[in-house]
Amino acid sequence: MARIIADSSSLILLAKCSLLEMVCNLFVVIVPKAVSIEVASKDLVRAYPDASLISELTSKGAIKVQSPGSERPSLPLSLHKGEEEALLLAINLDGSILATDDGKAIKAARFFNVPFIITPKIVVELFRLQKISFKKARESIEKLGKIGRYSPEIIADALISLMEKEDG
Amino acid sequence: MAKPTTIRIPEKLLNEINEFVQELKLDRSAYLREVLQKGFSADKQDRILLKYVRKELTQMEVCKELNWAPWEFLDQLKSRNLHLNVELEDWLDAADLPSR
Repeated sequence: MARIIADSSSLILLAKCSLLEMVCNLFVVIVPKAVSIEVASKDLVRAYPDASLISELTSKGAIKVQSPGSERPSLPLSLHKGEEEALLLAINLDGSILATDDGKAIKAARFFNVPFIITPKIVVELFRLQKISFKKARESIEKLGKIGRYSPEIIADALISLMEKEDG
Repeated sequence: MAKPTTIRIPEKLLNEINEFVQELKLDRSAYLREVLQKGFSADKQDRILLKYVRKELTQMEVCKELNWAPWEFLDQLKSRNLHLNVELEDWLDAADLPSR
């Protein structure tokens, strides 16, 4: 099973699109401890229902918590602890993909040639892999524009890509 | 504990403030403190978010600086009509998911 290393931005958007559980069932989803604390600390779980979902998935082992280890190459730019540890995990775990919706974290991933994926692409890929319907994929992408604050140009391109895949 | 500081401001603005606090029967010092606090908070948020847009800060760095919960971040962008700092190039270069 493919390994996805997620940071907070990606976990939040997947949860908001109601796709997090499915992604956890289809792929090995790993987060560093810092990410788990950033999005699903006890206080956050009380205040945000999606934080509670992440906490539940972590408790069940559907989201795996792993340390990036001691091998830590110096980064070309500063990141917050969770983003940094997620990137280090993706560097250290061969064949994994970094899921992030943060431009600066993507910049750092590019520096290390770490494959990365953003949430709109995850949605399109889930449709391509026939894991979600066209309707669900379209709704999720539209949600990523409205709630997820993705730029209109990315949303438009994602919708076109989705339609192209539907046409085969 | 409040500490004193001195600033020079344009006479016209000072007159306007004086007239306003008199009219509303406000304590001048308390009012100026409040305005400074509000203005500083708004300006800090604007400047930190500008750094985010320029990819000088990550979402979590912004949240830490502004003491926001990460779940609040997207609503804050929405209230300012801002978008994520992910670019079209990032969408185009994003990896495919393997089928197995």
